[in-house]
Amino acid sequence: MALEFKVRSLGGDLKRFVGLITDREHAIKKAPEKDVDPVFAINENAKLLHPDYQKMVIQDIIEHKGADSKTFVFKKADGSKAAYFRAGQYVSVLLKIGSSLVTRPYSICSSPAEALEGIVKITVRNVKDGYAAPYMLENFKVGDEVCISGPEGTFYYEPLRDAGHVIALAGGSGITPFLSMANAIREGTEDFCLTILFGSRTEENILFKKELDEIASQCSKVKVVHVLSDEKKDGCETGFINADLIRKYAPEGGYSIFMCGPEAMYRFAQKEIEKLQIEPRFVRRELLGVTKNVASLPDYPAECAGKTYTVKVVIGEQEQVIDGKAEETILTAIERAGIPAPARCRSGECGWCRSKLVSGTVYIPAENDTGRRYVDKERGYIHPCASFPTSDVVIEVPGSYMQ
Amino acid sequence: MKEFDYIVVGSGCAGLSASLELAVNNRKVLLIEQHNIPGGCATSFVRGRFEFDPSLHELCGVGSAEDPGFVRKMFAKYGVDIEWCEATDCFRVISTYSDGEPMDVTMPSGKEAFIDKMEYYVPGSRASVTKFFALMQNIQDGLDYISGDKIDPREIIKKYVPMVRSGGYTTSVVFDALGLPQRAQDILSVYWTYLGVDMEKLSFLHYASMVNTYVTKSAYYPAHTSHEISVKMTERLRQLGGTVMMGCRAEKFLFEGDKCVGVQTNLGAFRAKYGVLANINPDIVHGKMVPQHLVPRREKKIAAARDRKLGGRMFTAYFGLNKTAEELGIKDYSIFLVGTSDSVKEYDSLKHIATNNYAIMLCYNIHNEAFSPKGTCVVSFTTMFTSAEDFNELDEKEYFKLKTKMAKRFMDLLREKAGIDLSDAVEEITVASPYTFARYLNAPEGGVYGFETTQWDGIIPRTIEMTMGLDYKLKHLYTIGTNGVRGDGYSSAYTDGQILADRALAQFEKEDA
Ligand SMILES: Cc1cc2nc3c(=O)[nH]c(=O)nc-3n(C[C@H](O)[C@H](O)[C@H](O)COP(=O)(O)OP(=O)(O)OC[C@H]3O[C@@H](n4cnc5c(N)ncnc54)[C@H](O)[C@@H]3O)c2cc1C
Ligand code: FES
Repeated sequence: MALEFKVRSLGGDLKRFVGLITDREHAIKKAPEKDVDPVFAINENAKLLHPDYQKMVIQDIIEHKGADSKTFVFKKADGSKAAYFRAGQYVSVLLKIGSSLVTRPYSICSSPAEALEGIVKITVRNVKDGYAAPYMLENFKVGDEVCISGPEGTFYYEPLRDAGHVIALAGGSGITPFLSMANAIREGTEDFCLTILFGSRTEENILFKKELDEIASQCSKVKVVHVLSDEKKDGCETGFINADLIRKYAPEGGYSIFMCGPEAMYRFAQKEIEKLQIEPRFVRRELLGVTKNVASLPDYPAECAGKTYTVKVVIGEQEQVIDGKAEETILTAIERAGIPAPARCRSGECGWCRSKLVSGTVYIPAENDTGRRYVDKERGYIHPCASFPTSDVVIEVPGSYMQ
Repeated sequence: MKEFDYIVVGSGCAGLSASLELAVNNRKVLLIEQHNIPGGCATSFVRGRFEFDPSLHELCGVGSAEDPGFVRKMFAKYGVDIEWCEATDCFRVISTYSDGEPMDVTMPSGKEAFIDKMEYYVPGSRASVTKFFALMQNIQDGLDYISGDKIDPREIIKKYVPMVRSGGYTTSVVFDALGLPQRAQDILSVYWTYLGVDMEKLSFLHYASMVNTYVTKSAYYPAHTSHEISVKMTERLRQLGGTVMMGCRAEKFLFEGDKCVGVQTNLGAFRAKYGVLANINPDIVHGKMVPQHLVPRREKKIAAARDRKLGGRMFTAYFGLNKTAEELGIKDYSIFLVGTSDSVKEYDSLKHIATNNYAIMLCYNIHNEAFSPKGTCVVSFTTMFTSAEDFNELDEKEYFKLKTKMAKRFMDLLREKAGIDLSDAVEEITVASPYTFARYLNAPEGGVYGFETTQWDGIIPRTIEMTMGLDYKLKHLYTIGTNGVRGDGYSSAYTDGQILADRALAQFEKEDA
């Protein structure tokens, strides 16, 4: 049987239907003819939280003598607020060094409240045989303009996941995110207990000793334990940060472990943490970058070591053929050639550098292949910051907005 | 300057289908996307050992291989092959009936099963619910008919009288006219949040076009997040000779005289021989991306009539959990945790942070155990805000606290209403606010549903307007997406992209010849 449906009389229903058209025409007709306003407050706010980049000026430089490091105090060039962030996040710094165009991630060591005054601080430690770090330490001077990214990364306190008490394992310049967290706790931005086990070689080497001890003395939620490997000192622990030391300072009940430091410390601490048998979700590690010695990894295709391949880089309509050393990441090859390419974490994790491998093959260290999407792996999309060429390659790279 | 036949700006659902529609018609297409991944809403992100789908709950119109829906047919036409999972239940909803009694119902997919289950919950509802489905089917067929190229009014009178007679009314009016018992109406009103307007404002045609497909064709989602769809569509576009540029943001549309001839981007300018399709909100396009003296009078007036009122602004939380769904006691793919089945009251309470106590919970592992690593599962929560008021002023210091507060509220709702406690299993958590969506999509207010599809601006008036001719628009530049003829949702956006690409093929090239 045919479907019968009515609301009112046939005429009434038809009138309503026709009304759809006339209502629209009527609504449009009676609306004023004025310029379309494309500005929406929520979108403007969103840009404050997630800028494409931030133009900063170096306002001050603080030297840390024994620690071979400097803190650069950046101030937003136009005097506005810097993007608000979560203590523990990092920014990516854009550098033009000779003909190269590189980025480097640095944890923000200042507090979120300072960002609202336009201030972002990073601390750069010298790296032997390094590239960007020595460049910054030697060349950055007060008044220079520096382009940095918005805040990035997921190494921050998450109240719905992390225990109320965090034991931080810090080594060397790995103290920076924890300094930011400690500041944030003191100023009331964050609310958790933080015990920092901070490994340094000697007392003289301790970064931010004065600041850390000051925060600890003012704020009962923050505690700092200095762990010296090369020297015995009153009030400091001696040796390396191990399971026993963590147990000694751990609170009753559960706690989270946050770790940030050099590769050697990770490898050592990893085994120690296993002894503690805490649920994996209570252990968080800041990213480490990609190994400098890829050829030493057990599954690396040994026959590639030492070779140089051609890398054809396609960005939009532009194509450029450059050299790619087997033991350097493709991102490094691109940066060496001075080609602007998007990148943030440089650890294979964040996906900012995601590119299409059009042809050729690459080696990706398993420990840096945690950030790729399932279908990307299947369809040949790679993160160039963690991919080493093992043949000539053609790669399509997205455009970058940080310039 | 490199020339293409067409340029598509933005690789959201509509941009992707439009590109493919043009490419299968042998046109040289350039698709540009500001991000380094395609998809817009249809994407994914990775945290720890989990991959999350930020937006897709259910894709409407896929259907089974044997009984394909329009989306499956479209993808087959384009040569895009997706690994689908079927959501065998439509939804579970925990709420209160309008008579004050508690509601906890689970509705299955499939028309017959749905009607049977409704009869079980609401005895005596069978006849009216059966008629409800017949009416929705008539509407769906009729909508397809009037979206086509040739429309014969006699055909409409012969076949689609029920569509016409219900078409002018809102959903609540039609529900009453069908004689649906109040409790059945309460259960059926659950879907309103997928369309962003309450039942007293929501056009029944719009409601029917979605709900009928969900129930009769069941809902599907891709096995590996909606990123799978978006990547496979761009890959197919390349195979068909299309060009895809990522990290490419359109800044301005280029005109010669009054004709759009290309796009200026951060990677340079590109020329379009025939025209440009922009997967961008029309207020953004007309407000700042084209020469102001060219903006058509009618577009200005449409914008003024819409008065910047957007559909839902999403607030979501994504959880990677270190226990299985079974261990956590989650049995349903989707649970609507709703305060009241009175959509008008609920719409009101969703205006403000203080009163928004709504959430849709999804567990992606229910039909797809391998969605996350063994021993884990992924759960997401979604609510929406029906007003921008609480977000127009940004208090940075409160922002992350707000994220935590909302995520906690979602967890509390699930515990209180369904007895499921996630708090001991949280391994990863990410929260997205309207700011997040606004930033990522460029969509005004992060309103992923586009402008409110109220009566005068619903999908039927929009469709009829298109049928009457798009001559009023900018020459050789169409906007596509959620503000188009089919409104919000993945399937609507795919369809809109396809329809508008066909219009462009017919219109732009004719003008050229
Ligand atoms: C949390 C959430 C849950 C949802 N759940 C569902 C669901 O279960 N089922 C469903 O069907 N729908 C759902 N939706 C809605 C659905 O995702 C959207 O309605 C649909 O994806 C819209 O597609 P679109 O093509 O209009 O636009 P968008 O997805 O907004 O895509 C637009 C694209 O254009 C790009 N772009 C913008 N400006 C420029 C420029 N100037 N230059 C270059 N590129 C540009 C953007 O980056 C983006 O990629 C949900 C949405 C969200 C956020
Ligand atoms: S820069 Fe983060 S994955 Fe490459």
